[in-house]
Amino acid sequence: MRLAGYLVALGLLAAPAPAQELKWNYDKLAAKASDTVDVSLSGSLLRLATKFLSDDDKDEAKVKKLVGGLKGIYVKNFEFKKAGDYTPADLESFRAPLRGGGWERIVGVHSTEEGETVEVYINNAAKGIGGLAIIATEPKEVTLVNIVGPIDLDSLSELGGHFGIPEVEVEKKK
Amino acid sequence: MNLDDELKSALRRHEPPPDFTARVLARVSAGPARTAPLAGLSSTLTRKSTRWVAAIAATLLLAAGALEYRQYEGERAKSQVLLAMRITASKLNKAQKKVQMLSHRSIS
Repeated sequence: MRLAGYLVALGLLAAPAPAQELKWNYDKLAAKASDTVDVSLSGSLLRLATKFLSDDDKDEAKVKKLVGGLKGIYVKNFEFKKAGDYTPADLESFRAPLRGGGWERIVGVHSTEEGETVEVYINNAAKGIGGLAIIATEPKEVTLVNIVGPIDLDSLSELGGHFGIPEVEVEKKK
Repeated sequence: MNLDDELKSALRRHEPPPDFTARVLARVSAGPARTAPLAGLSSTLTRKSTRWVAAIAATLLLAAGALEYRQYEGERAKSQVLLAMRITASKLNKAQKKVQMLSHRSIS
């Protein structure tokens, strides 16, 4: 009886996952992929990581500032041996939860020539962006990104040119 | 005396004195030898301090292990954050680049 009470109390204490945290199921893609990169950082691990990011290093300081208020970072990268190992239907389950719940697609680019697509979704919160999702595909690669919490896209783009990320020259408005 | 003789002499069987058995039995029936009270206290203290030293050493070892593990976890989490940001930023930049290319095309 007492145990049941504790379990109920624990259930009440357990905070529900924020709306920006997507419940994506990666099993299908993972089963087909030849290589997988999996980054799953929840709140406590993120807080620990920020303690280890240096304030003296310019690049690390930028990342530290960027991830400071985040609640979770989930990045999966699947590589396949040959084109066609994954199907468009495999990706539908990732798009479905982005059709509601405050999600909005801000960018959707498709290159027929290179067979690449990039879809960028944001979750609007009271104070700016509350979450970010990216579905990026190449013939032999699928990348899924879900960032939970307030994220500054400009600062994220500023990481271009650092950490081996190619810099994009953005034409500034005059 | 050569080495053989010395060895023989050293290893030669010596018979115990005739009252040896009686003396041993008497000592056994008399019970354990009494020791001074302070000697007991000192032995107890030694045992206790050994336990304390062992406990402190174990605690220190555990603390050092926990610190080492935290350091490892922190460094791992940091490299994961950097990797995640690298992947995310590269995909964002790719989208940005394509949008720019398209806008350039539509302008020209």
